[in-house]
Parts: sequence; C-alpha cells; structure tokens
Amino acid sequence: MRLRRPTAVGAAATLCAAIVVALLPFALSNYHRTTGATVAVYFIAILALDIVTGYTGQISIGHGAFMAIGGYTTAILTHDHGWNDLATLPAAAAAGFAAGVVVGLPALRFRGVYLALTTFAVALAVPQIAKNYSRFTGGTEGLPLPAHSGLWLYEVGWAIAGAMFVAAWLLLRGRTGRAFRAIRDSEVAAASSGVTLAVYKTVAFGISAAMAGVAGSLFVLVNSFVNPDVFGLQLSLYVLIGAVVGGLGSLRGVLVGAAFVELLPIGLTSGSLAPSQAVPVIFGAVVVAVMALLPLGAADLLRTVLQSRADRGQHPDTPLGTEAK
Amino acid sequence: MTERRPTAEWIVPAGLVAVCVLLVVGSLRSALFAQQTVSGLANGGIYASLAVALVLIYRATEVINFAQGALATFATYVAWQLMQWGLSYWAAFACTLAIAFVGGFAVELVAIRPVERRGSVLTVVIAAIGLLILVEGSIGWIWGNDVKFMPTPFPAHIYTVGGVAFSRQDLSTIAISLLAVIVLWGFFRFTKLGLAMRAAAVRPDAARLVGVRVSWMLSLGWGLAAALGAVAGLMAAASPSVLLQPSMMDGILIYAFAAAVVGGLESAFGAVVAALMIGVLLNLVTSYVHFVGPALQLPVAFVVMLVVLLVKPSGLFGRTRVRRV
Amino acid sequence: MTRRMKASLVLASFAVAAAAGSAALASPSATPGVTKRTITIGGTFPLTGPAALYGAIPKAEAAYFSYVNAHGGVNGRQIVFKVYDDGYNPANTVPLTKKLVEQDHVFAVYSSLGTAPNLAIRDYLNKRGVPQVLLATGDSYWGSQYKQYPWTFGFNPSYPGESRVYGKFIASKVPQAKIGILVQDDAYGQNYYDGLVQGLGAAKSKIVDVEKYDPTQTDISAQVVKLKAAGANVLVIFALPTQTITALVVTTKIGWKPTTFINNVSESPLFMYLAQKSGANVDGDITSDYLYDYFNNPNSATTKLFKSIVAKYDPSANPLDINIEYAFANAWTLVYALKQAGKDPTRQSFMDALTHLNVTNPFLYAGTKMVTTPTERFPIDQQILAQYQNGVWHPFGHIFSNAR
Repeated sequence: MRLRRPTAVGAAATLCAAIVVALLPFALSNYHRTTGATVAVYFIAILALDIVTGYTGQISIGHGAFMAIGGYTTAILTHDHGWNDLATLPAAAAAGFAAGVVVGLPALRFRGVYLALTTFAVALAVPQIAKNYSRFTGGTEGLPLPAHSGLWLYEVGWAIAGAMFVAAWLLLRGRTGRAFRAIRDSEVAAASSGVTLAVYKTVAFGISAAMAGVAGSLFVLVNSFVNPDVFGLQLSLYVLIGAVVGGLGSLRGVLVGAAFVELLPIGLTSGSLAPSQAVPVIFGAVVVAVMALLPLGAADLLRTVLQSRADRGQHPDTPLGTEAK
Repeated sequence: MTERRPTAEWIVPAGLVAVCVLLVVGSLRSALFAQQTVSGLANGGIYASLAVALVLIYRATEVINFAQGALATFATYVAWQLMQWGLSYWAAFACTLAIAFVGGFAVELVAIRPVERRGSVLTVVIAAIGLLILVEGSIGWIWGNDVKFMPTPFPAHIYTVGGVAFSRQDLSTIAISLLAVIVLWGFFRFTKLGLAMRAAAVRPDAARLVGVRVSWMLSLGWGLAAALGAVAGLMAAASPSVLLQPSMMDGILIYAFAAAVVGGLESAFGAVVAALMIGVLLNLVTSYVHFVGPALQLPVAFVVMLVVLLVKPSGLFGRTRVRRV
Repeated sequence: MTRRMKASLVLASFAVAAAAGSAALASPSATPGVTKRTITIGGTFPLTGPAALYGAIPKAEAAYFSYVNAHGGVNGRQIVFKVYDDGYNPANTVPLTKKLVEQDHVFAVYSSLGTAPNLAIRDYLNKRGVPQVLLATGDSYWGSQYKQYPWTFGFNPSYPGESRVYGKFIASKVPQAKIGILVQDDAYGQNYYDGLVQGLGAAKSKIVDVEKYDPTQTDISAQVVKLKAAGANVLVIFALPTQTITALVVTTKIGWKPTTFINNVSESPLFMYLAQKSGANVDGDITSDYLYDYFNNPNSATTKLFKSIVAKYDPSANPLDINIEYAFANAWTLVYALKQAGKDPTRQSFMDALTHLNVTNPFLYAGTKMVTTPTERFPIDQQILAQYQNGVWHPFGHIFSNAR
C-alpha cells in the first residue's frame, strides 16, 4: 500500500488555509469569532472521529460521549475545584483517553455495525448518567463556567485545533498511521504482517477519545455552560455528518466538514417563525444531496482540485464499507 | 488472526426458557409483577415492529436506517389526517399502511438509491440521518409542533384475571404487532416475491443471474419496512403515554435499535424476542431495582445490550460470520 | 505560483474583505434595538424537538404583537419580535442569544423558554446589561436572585409557590389525607416538592410515598401502581404533560380514584381532553390557575378580544391549548412595561417599569393584580384553585396570595 508523499500543492493549500484562519478573527465581529471558535470545536471532534473511523475502520457513532467526558471534566474541575480552565484540558484529554480505552477494549469483540450501535448506545447513556449523578454534574440545571471573549475562544480553539491537526498528520504518516490503515483495509492481512490488532485498535480509540475530550472541553468553554442536553444526540450526529461530508480517511476535508455542520444550520435561521420550521427540512435535504453528489466527501473534491497531474494516477484510500465481510 | 470458538449452541435457547419461567412464576406470585410484565410486553410489541423494520433494511442493504422512526411518525400523522378528513380508524389504518408502503418505496428511489449507487455503507447511513432530520422537520412544518389527539381503536376496557388488571389496549397492541411480524414472515417464507427479495439481499449477483431485479427488491424492502414502521407508530400513538408530536418515536427508536442489535441484526425473530424482553426488563427494573435512579433506565438497557454482545458478539440469533482470509 | 493557487488567494482575500465589510455595517444605535419606528426584542424557544409543543407560545406572542402593531404599536413604534429555535438545547441557546444581542441588537431578550437554557445565558446577559425578562419558566430563583442578576426578571408564578398552595389546601381541607406524590427526578420536580412540604406544614407526616421518574421515561405506570399500593388517597402529580396524562389514565385503569392534584404546567384543557379520551376519569381533579377564565366567561369583552386576535393573527392555534392564553398574558405585560418605559425607552427605564408594576392585566384571572417592587419581583403571585368538571376547569374558593 503506497504512502502518499505530501505534495507541494497540498502543503501550500494547507498553509493558505492556516493563514486565512489566523487572520480571519480580526475582520470578524465578536459574535462571529465565537462561531469560528465553535467551528474549531467541530474541527477537533471530526479529526478525532476520522482517526478511529476513517483511518482505523472502527465505526463510532457516539463521539458526543467522549466530548461529554472531557467537557464535564473541565466543568467540574473549574467550577468545584477552582482550576484554571486551560489547565483542565490535559485532564480532559486524559479522561477522554481512559474512556476511549474502556470503550475500545470490548469493542475488539464487535464487528462493524454492532460496534457502531454500541457507540451510539454509549452516546445516549452518558448524558443520562450525568443527569443521575447530579451532585457532581449539576444535573439538568448544569454548571456555569467562566466566560471569555470571542477572540480568546477563537485563538485558543484554533491554536489547539492547529496543534492537533499537525499531531494527527505526523501520527498518521508514521508507523502508527500505517498500522491503522492496514487494520482498516484488512485486519487479517494486518495481523499477519505483525500488527497487534488489540493494541492498535484500542490505542486508536484512546487517542480519538482524548481528542474528542479536548473538543468537549472547548465546547463547554465556548458556551460557558454545561448540562446533559448539551451532549445529546444532535452533537454526535453532527460530528458524524461533518466527518463524512468532509471525507473519511483524509485530513483534507476536516475543515469543510466542520464548517458545514456549524455554519449551515445557523446560517439558515432567520428569526421569523414560519421559516424556522423549514430549517431542519433544508438542512436534512442538503445532507442527503451532498451524500448523493459527493459520496466520498469534500476531501475527494479537494483532491481532484488540488492534485497535480503526477499524483492523479495514484490509488485513493479505500472508502469505508468495502472492507472484507 | 484469532478464530473465536463459537459460544455453545444451547446457551441462548436455555437462557430464554429460563427467562420465560421466571416471568411466569413471578406473575403468579405477584399482581404487580404480572401487570408490569404485560404492559412491558405491550411496549415490547411496539419496539418489535420497529426493530423488525430495521432488520429488514439492514439485511437487504447493511444500512442502519436512522430515519425509520421519523418515517413511522410521518405515517402516523398521515393516519391522523385521514381521520380528520372523516375516515374511520381501521379504514385510515389500512390506507396508511398502503401509503406508507408506497412512501417507503419512493424514499428509497429518490433519496437512497442515488446515494447507494456511488457511496459506501456509511454514506448511506449519513443520508439516512439527513432523512431523519428532514422528515421530522417536515412533520412540524406541515402539521405544526403542537400535540394532537390520536383516537385509539380499543375502548378502554379492562380484563381482570385473578386480581390483576390487564387493559385491552395492551393485549391488542401485542396481538397486532406480532400479527404484523408474522404476516411479514409468511410473505418472505411462502411467496415467490418474498423469495426473490431474500435472494436479492443475500446474493445480489446470483439473484440477478436468475432474473431478479435487485434494485426493485431493495425499494420493496424499504416499502415493507415503512409499512411495519407505520404499524409501530399507530400502536404507539394509541397508547396514552405517547402523545402525537413530531418527536414521538425518538425514544422508541432507541429501544428498537437495542432490540435489533441484541437479537442479531440479521434475525427478525431475534429482534422480536429481544424487543419483548427489553420491554419487560425496563418495566421490572423500574419496579424492583431501587438503586437504579429513573435517569439510569436507558443506560441499564444498554448495559444489558452490552452484556449480551460480549457473550454473543453477533447478537442472540445472529449468524457468526467466518472471516475468509 | 500556479494559477489555481493564485485563484485561491484572491478568493481568500475577497472572503476576508467581505467579512470586514459586514462587520463594519453592523453599528449599534444609542439604545440597542430602539429606532424611531421600531423596537426589537427576541427570544429562544424549542420550536423543534421533544419540547416543541411549547412552540405555540412564541406564535401566540407574535400574534398579540401583530395586533398591537396594527393599533399604533408601542408609543408609535412597531414591535419586531425575533424567534429562534434552540430545541431546548443550551448549546444552541447560547450562540442564538449571542446572535440576538450582538447581531440583531435586540433591546431585550424576551420570554426565552426553559430553565437550563435561561441559566446558560443569565451570566452573559447580566454582564452586558441586557434585560432577560418575562421568562417562560417558573423556578423560584428567577424572582429571588435579583441582587446577583438585576437584569433578569421572571413571569410565571414560581413552582414552589404553586405547590405551597396545594399543601395548604390539603392540610386544611383534607384531614384524612394519605399523600402519594409523583415527581420528576430533577430540580424542576424538587422545586415543586419543596413547596408542597412547606405548605403542608405539620401535615407532611401524611406523605406515604414519593415516586420519581426521569423526563425521558414516558411510561410511568410502574410508579403509579406503587403509589396505589402504598395506600395513598391523595395523589399529587408534579410532572410534564406527557407523564401527567399517562398517570391520569393509568390511575383510572387500575381502578383507583384518589383526590388528584395536577400542576399548572400540565393542566391545559388540551391535555385533560387527551387524558379523558384515553380513558382517564379526571372529573374532580384540582389544579391552580392564574390566567383569565375564558371558558366560564364566554361573552366578556376580554374573551371576545382574545378570540378576535387569535382568529385574525394565529388562526391555526388550538383553542384548548392554554399556552395561547399564557402567551397573551405575557405579551401584554411586555407591551405595558414598554409603554411605561417612556417615549424614549432605555433598558434601565424598561427594567424600572417592570419592577414597579401595580396594574390589572386583563389576561390574568379577574380580581388579581400584578404588583412588583425592586425587591419583590414576582409579577404573578396570586392564584386560585380550580376543579375539573365536564370538560372545563371551574375556579373555586378564594384567591391565594403570596404564592411566591
């Protein structure tokens, strides 16, 4: 299986995107900066999902649960124990990692769709557990968090998103990334070439969950509030939609996916009653249309646009779902 | 690659028999137990109809149809509208099943086939999620989000047997749900069309060679699943604890998923058994297990699901697939 | 540099320029939300999702504002009412509220619905001095925590105030009571429970069983069965509409007829009708009311006005839905306070108007008055008990005061 070299065009495009992202807040209002910070949150969450699902082939529909764990870690440490909110991020990552391993271990036994539905179940169960142990989590009334300006949220969010992107890119280029892709394409072949399935699959979950935990922390900071409904089904579904629209198995489309799920629904709201009813109809229809027109996600489109002639003959990553049955 | 020894064949039937014995003994000893068991079976009947619809689509296309509940709700609203226009309950019921069938067929043709043609399984799943958002939104758009009254065909009649009150509602729901599933089973088992559909699901290439129009079979499958979903929706709306509103089936869908997974996603029989068990389990846990706070009801159901999957990773009646190298 | 890269850079700079342009255009006026011709308010509501049935409230409020606008508006200004759908998810409420304040430049955040959603935005709004008023939620701290949150102002009578009334009634009028309570397992339910216990006083020893349920549980028949088994002859239901209806139906199904108390949130004639159609015997059930009694005064001027506004501006509204009546009472209060805030209202003059109310709201129960002071900030603290008979709630007894 060929490893793609970073192309000059790809690198330049990424650099361009990074510059735009870095300069953008100075042209935006406080409100739009906060929106931009939320895009960063989805960016990290989608990146996390891409690692475990797009690159390692383990379908996880419930990343909202890992975000919840990270988010509540930050909220409880900040609210009850007076931690500085940025200082809680490593703790959130650690909690997320632990949760990822806890989910990843039994997941070793589950095949494709059973894994997907189990993660779905976890995503639904975690908010309920948060509701039940309200003494720690504040229950449905939730916990407030220190507020920050839009600029702070944007800068912190994208700094972390950028760092995670680079870290993910390095990870996926290296041996671990190769192992992940091998597992995705054929577990049998991977095992017979020396990849310890249990270790790599669990590590994939752990890393992915750690990143999602950090995303959850940022999410909670952006809203300065947490309660179980914040991590409901909508969040997990949006992260999943964003990952697939962006294109699984590739880092190129993550920004597109994140922008899609955050900006489109808000962009469609207008503040008048009757059109508000139409928002979910339009959003749902757009999702279906995007799947029909761009089944491999924006990454595929970007690849065709950015790739130089020489690379065009290269075999693309196999999309999910064509794994050996 | 580790080849796991299949769990002993006798465990599942023995376990089920044990559960049945437990339920009967408990019911004989306590009126509360009996009441909870019967109303649990009624809820389970509703989950079963929806779960079998999920299994139907999964078997044909390997797609988890997240939109199944929303489609069922839409069908229920159609029935409501027909009754508003003067049809009697059973006339509306029959018309709704027909309309749901056609509607499911049309949805597959228009929204799913274009996606299926070019994308992977996960792409179709995302399209289904888009469909869920779209359909639930359109219900609110067309009929409004307020709660509507859905007439029940079963007069509020109560049968008392040995000091235990059973409502005609509950018993009829069990009967109708099981009847729908049995009719469907009969269709698949004994008719030529059913055979063609089964062939298209299991061996599409071979089926094509024999002259089966595989893509039409898929659309038919969606149509039948939609009709089954309509039965689930109508039975659910007839129950006083479920109000007719756009989010009506959200909670039920979750338990239907759990039932489909626990039963083994390829087995409709398994889905029914699991659904009934989940319905009863939820009621009994609420009644008898006190450290489980109300918020934990959902997680408990999922813990059970997890335990079953750990023992039998393909569900109770699922086929353990042998992976070919 | 390839042509493609050049194109991308040009596009990127256009994007930046456009964003800068739009940011510059949004320049706020002296008092946000107030222009010569308009005054803009807005709120977040669950228009979709499990709480969507409350979407009737902003619809009806908008209808009332349309009526007011057609009759000259408020001191010559037309009311612009922005309604955003947060689906009862605070993660949506926060950005949408920020949008209202920073993009739409609303004068006030009005009638936002839900406890958690309002808690999520309370700090933000108070820090910015944006009124967060006439909230559609009834916990007691909206009125009591004004020192910390001076810009927040509630509307609904507090839940504990309401349940206190039930407690007092049971203590004095039902001496042989054995009380069973069905309550939601969260702060909402706890609020009610605390008030009931306070109202009962010594009679709280008569509570024989308390059963809890989670809002996601729609089938609470198990809890009802246990309450009957505990020997209760008084049933107090502190639940959301879905579970209340179920409880009423199951109670009848198992052949039980306790003296039943239903909380105001769930007593809409629509829900009673649904319960009855499903087989519940609800005659004799008791609740508390604070809204104008339209059903028993079909020919009064208020009822005629109410019906004419609904017919013209919200014709698809369900006449049995009490949310419409609630919305009118709330919207009337807003319009009144805006008028009282003067010809050139400021946010401060508006809050002053709200904290100095002494007026009869035509859409509240006849004989009650809205009275507030800067330290007593519950506009509705008078209620009357009502009993359900033949499809209608019939108020009885005297008006209870200080139900706060």
